[in-house]
Amino acid sequence: MKLSGIGSTPLSGVGTARWYRPESDLTLPEKPDPSEVDSDAEQERFETAQTTAREQIEQARQQAAERVGEDEAAVFEAHLQFLDDPQLVGDIESAMSEGTPAEHAVSDRFEEAIAQFEGMDGRMAERADDLRDIRDRLLRVLLDVETVDLSALPAGTVLLAERLTPSDTAGLDPDSVAGIATVTGGRTSHAAIIARSLAIPAVVGVGEVLNEIEEGADVLVNGDAGTVVVDPDEGERAAAGGVDAPVVEERVATADGKRIEVAANVGGEAELEPAAARGADGIGLFRTEFLFLDREAPPDESEQYEAITAALAAFPDDRVVVRTLDIGGDKAVPYLDLPDETNPFLGQRGIRLSLGTHSDLFETHLRALLRVAASEHGDELAVMFPMVTQIEEVESAIERVESVADDLESEGIDYAVPELGVMIETPAASYLADALAERLDFLSIGTNDLTQYVMAVDRENDAVADYHDPLHPAVLRAVDRTVSAAEGRDAWVGMCGEMAGDPDLTELLVGLGLDELSMSAVTVPAVKQQVQQTATDTARELAAEVLACETRAEVQTVLDGEEK
Amino acid sequence: MERIVEVVPEAGLHARPASKFVQTANRFDSEITVGRADGDDTVSASSMLAVTGLNIEHGERVRITAEGDDAEAALDELEALLTTPVEEDDESEAGDDA
Repeated sequence: MKLSGIGSTPLSGVGTARWYRPESDLTLPEKPDPSEVDSDAEQERFETAQTTAREQIEQARQQAAERVGEDEAAVFEAHLQFLDDPQLVGDIESAMSEGTPAEHAVSDRFEEAIAQFEGMDGRMAERADDLRDIRDRLLRVLLDVETVDLSALPAGTVLLAERLTPSDTAGLDPDSVAGIATVTGGRTSHAAIIARSLAIPAVVGVGEVLNEIEEGADVLVNGDAGTVVVDPDEGERAAAGGVDAPVVEERVATADGKRIEVAANVGGEAELEPAAARGADGIGLFRTEFLFLDREAPPDESEQYEAITAALAAFPDDRVVVRTLDIGGDKAVPYLDLPDETNPFLGQRGIRLSLGTHSDLFETHLRALLRVAASEHGDELAVMFPMVTQIEEVESAIERVESVADDLESEGIDYAVPELGVMIETPAASYLADALAERLDFLSIGTNDLTQYVMAVDRENDAVADYHDPLHPAVLRAVDRTVSAAEGRDAWVGMCGEMAGDPDLTELLVGLGLDELSMSAVTVPAVKQQVQQTATDTARELAAEVLACETRAEVQTVLDGEEK
Repeated sequence: MERIVEVVPEAGLHARPASKFVQTANRFDSEITVGRADGDDTVSASSMLAVTGLNIEHGERVRITAEGDDAEAALDELEALLTTPVEEDDESEAGDDA
């Protein structure tokens, strides 16, 4: 069984399913007749519950500050304010004085507030999670329910839940939790943010179908692909890093000596060190979105400068390819006031926003990048633009780079112009690969989006999931067309995307002529090992055979025939 | 006593700014309310629930009223809070509070 949701921490983990259903313990007793209720006693019970909850939140605040950081600890300050909110408390007290028991008063009033926030959109809806968190704390004290100790889960737990509250998540021990999957939630919920900060693989918003996973099942959480797999097979485990290949520190070449760079995709500072530890030859895709998501205002130039410098410092001798801001599509950034679009994946995304309505953001971004290029390891910096479909866009982007360079020059600030490239993720870019290679230093094929656009398939739509497969002949031919177009021109071609990290496909990709493969760090060792075992000429023959296939099934037959 | 103020912090009256606003309002003895300058959605500034419930964004104008001995001082502080762009150090904190 393979379920899909929203990958929220782009890491993978395999473990044993354990359900966390705290809400099931919080069933309220029957409401007694108001005349039987001692209002004063209820008032006292409520105050005790409030005091206990306050202590717990203080403790959670401290724990979050130590484990996650002051930023995330701040949410618990808001919790304290909600806990003492005069409106909430006032209504609860008046309900109790009219003969409602404390637990019912709390439950009713919070339900009302939760409903109010749930009706709103985006970050307002996430306040509902905060209120649930506080309500459950109060109810646990009032109903005398033991708090499930999430900080003491057995090692290798994949935690499954309807939803996790910020307190639940902050208390998790990253060493024992192999992954998290939840029925509801978005990638900007506090719980998702905390899971990311703790580097716990997480997939959220899987839907009701998650409930079909049985306690104790063997589960793989792939936060990069946004999937949850029950009883994963060897291939799926390997792709997710469940089977560890030995780390190869040095750069690798095929058996006959062709160098292939095996780099990592990195989506945040926490992933830098693990990527280096797994022997990645630099970063083939540095997603800058993390700098912009989960916050309320864009990062300024110096914050961007620091973050990108940190990436270069983690790989002092290797190239770091930074993708400029790729928002739009499914990535919501509340403060950017992006318009609601019927078809966001075909709307204002990536370079379209950077050259259009958000050119000021792009300018700050470029200033930071050009300054980094002049810093200590800056000569290893490369910058690529996402979602390109026209040569004019590349020309405008290059003009913007030049004008930012002029500005820095006249301000007397050190800068350098890094290697420039584009993502090949649309059919248009693949068709124009020759003209792009002519103007740029490199092309990087983003197979996830390329597959989506070549196959005209919504990545998020389960009903057409079979279409979203890079091994369809049309996608493979778009990859081949791109690589061939760059041949003889002075541009290297890489691939970043799920496909690059599948060790079963390494031989094919080498045969297709890619110079660089970039993937989730977990698969770097396995792919490096595969590269070393590949002979270029047999790989080329395999690629030629695969490219001759007309159907997905034929591709599979050829690939299966190759398996040793 | 009242004052009309434009909300400057990028986060609007959410997250950290809201939290600070309520904290500050609660320090004064005056009865303080807040709502949209051109709306009738006035609520008590002492309630986090009510204040965040207003869903006020950056750039909107709000009316703050205060009645009591320390009304003037309260309005001064609250105005300062809403008209100061969040400082760099604070910004990253407020940022992740989305």
